[in-house]
Amino acid sequence: MSVLQNGAAPLRAMDDESDVEEEALVADYREQVQYEGMEELEQVTSLTMAQQTDDIQSRLAAAAQPLDFSAPLEVKFASYDNYCSLFHFILNSDGPVDLEPPSYYWAWDVIDEFIYQFNSFCSYRNRVARQGSNEEDIQILREAPNTWGCYSVLNVLYSLIQRSQINEQLAAMKRNEDPMAVAGDYGSKPLYRMLGYFSIIGLLRVHCLLGDFSLALKTLDDIELNKKAMFARVMAAHFTTYYYVGFSYMMMRRYADAIRMFSHILIYVSRTKNFQKNAQYDSISKKNDQMYALIAICVAFHPTRLDDTIHTALREKYGDQLVKLQRGGPESLPIFEELFRSSCPKFISPTPPDFDNPELNVDPLEHHLAIFMDEVKTNMWSPTVKSYLRLYTTMDLKKLAGFLEVEPEKLRGWLLVNKQRSRQTRWTDNGLLDGEIVTSSDLDYAMQGDLIHISEAKVGRKLVDWYLRNLARTY
Amino acid sequence: MGVSFDYTPDRPEHIDTILNGLDRYNPETTSVFQEYVTQQCEERTVDSYANLALLKLYQFNPHLAKDETITNILVKCLTIFPSPDFSLALHLLPPHILTPASASSALPAAGDAPLSEAVQKLNVLNNLLGRASYSEFWSTLDSDDLYADLIADVAGFEELIRIRIALTISQSVREIERPVLESWLGMQGEGFEKFVRGVCGWGLEGSVVKVPLNKENEAKGTIVRENVKIEQFSRVIRRAYEQPS
Repeated sequence: MSVLQNGAAPLRAMDDESDVEEEALVADYREQVQYEGMEELEQVTSLTMAQQTDDIQSRLAAAAQPLDFSAPLEVKFASYDNYCSLFHFILNSDGPVDLEPPSYYWAWDVIDEFIYQFNSFCSYRNRVARQGSNEEDIQILREAPNTWGCYSVLNVLYSLIQRSQINEQLAAMKRNEDPMAVAGDYGSKPLYRMLGYFSIIGLLRVHCLLGDFSLALKTLDDIELNKKAMFARVMAAHFTTYYYVGFSYMMMRRYADAIRMFSHILIYVSRTKNFQKNAQYDSISKKNDQMYALIAICVAFHPTRLDDTIHTALREKYGDQLVKLQRGGPESLPIFEELFRSSCPKFISPTPPDFDNPELNVDPLEHHLAIFMDEVKTNMWSPTVKSYLRLYTTMDLKKLAGFLEVEPEKLRGWLLVNKQRSRQTRWTDNGLLDGEIVTSSDLDYAMQGDLIHISEAKVGRKLVDWYLRNLARTY
Repeated sequence: MGVSFDYTPDRPEHIDTILNGLDRYNPETTSVFQEYVTQQCEERTVDSYANLALLKLYQFNPHLAKDETITNILVKCLTIFPSPDFSLALHLLPPHILTPASASSALPAAGDAPLSEAVQKLNVLNNLLGRASYSEFWSTLDSDDLYADLIADVAGFEELIRIRIALTISQSVREIERPVLESWLGMQGEGFEKFVRGVCGWGLEGSVVKVPLNKENEAKGTIVRENVKIEQFSRVIRRAYEQPS
């Protein structure tokens, strides 16, 4: 159950201090919600089309309800059919459907749940094929290759985006024009506008799940990432957006940008967590930890000064791991792997698996991890090299090689690698894929034959922040 | 000089149209993209964003995938190391592609065993380049005929790689011994001198190669000072006025 739930309306006012009790209440409440969701879902499947249209409001509500993780295949299939007919109704009726969304976060919940179910279905299908033990399920899945197919999911998302003219609307807003002028019949209705908007976030997520990180970032071209953005109104959407954008940046080796994304949202969460003592916050806290793990990875690649709040929390949660990551070398590899595994999205493969060759159905996670680990290995000597260079202003290469007990030729390679990797693209303006190449390291050096010249960019103490914080405290 | 990842200077208009529309998912555009890859191979240009779109089409429609085009795209990515493009392309290939040969060769049914072998070989090259083990890169390239086949379609592969290597060297080197540079560039004698003087514009003095100073290899120390703006204090100042005295 990793669904971010917005449907979790305010719990009964409770001001008891017992966390245990509170958790129990939350769990209890969640169970109820799920139970209702299931019931409604089954009801819907047993209804006829005519009856369904009568009761459209309940279908809208049902679409936003989370599906139980261990639901049997038939329920997953039925749920897919439900989504298809609902989206078909919304997209292909004569003209825009005259409906008010049940709540302002409904559209997010629908898209979120739709993608979540797609994601877990694909993972499940892949797992069944890999294990090859559940003959019954294999047979069912083999016969329905198009259920929860990638093309149909993308089709829904793109259709919602196009129908609502949401990209045109967002572009108009960027130019400070009235979005309604370009919204068209569909896009001027809140139902379509919101579905369209959250479909963009949904696309970001799907592309990222499929391993297409550059396209994932490209998708957000028209959305401005700031607190005024529409997604910021729905906490789960806000959170999800930054997680996937940050992750995509990390995979494109733009660690400074990734850190910026994760820090932004984590600071936001830590500032607002006091008002969110409910189920919603509960499910967010898991992703919260994942993002701290990702920050730890990014900081290891790109040492930088973090915001104090983040830094403290990071040391609390991943203190030991962070030290090992920052030390580099072969000992850091298992830590990188462990953190990546626990904090990456649940990658999927877009096509139905090969049921006849179970060995070919490698978990997509392993694939992406292997590629990521190659990059980690490329970089793993940089911390060692840097820690030595920091001590000198000039140094003989052969002497340093002796200290490190490596061949001079190897050391030359490490020096080149570290220099290359300290140059990164960093965002300044425009789309998320845009950016300028900047040198990110404070340590610089050049080789003159076997002599290494070293220089350091010293950062003067930053006092303003400290000063302001203490002023605020004493006032 | 910010260059967006999705931007390529001389991208043909029809490719641009496909990339910006839903046709990028249309299986019928695979042939257009494939021709574009061939064109890049011949004209020594690279358009990774378009190539990733083709790999995505292959990802969705495995039956359309052409092994040769896939390896050509990867080889093109090598010629622009140390950018992340090679990894980004790998991410879009089938998940079993990097599983060690022992596992996949045991499967006669796996139709694309040769592809995964080729991809793994190219990945070895990519790692050698990424780790700046340039002399090992050249010896590995020579060690197997398969490599010659793989790079055959990409015009000027070796020269493009040499230029990239020279570029990374110029970032951190002011002077380098000739034998070291020879092994890094994988060439000797007259060809070496011509490349160093003509293409790179570096100086040769006895057994030392001199790289002219540039922004990256001068390694000058700097002190970064905090940039304090009055706006940062606006809240404090406002509070001071609001406070009843």
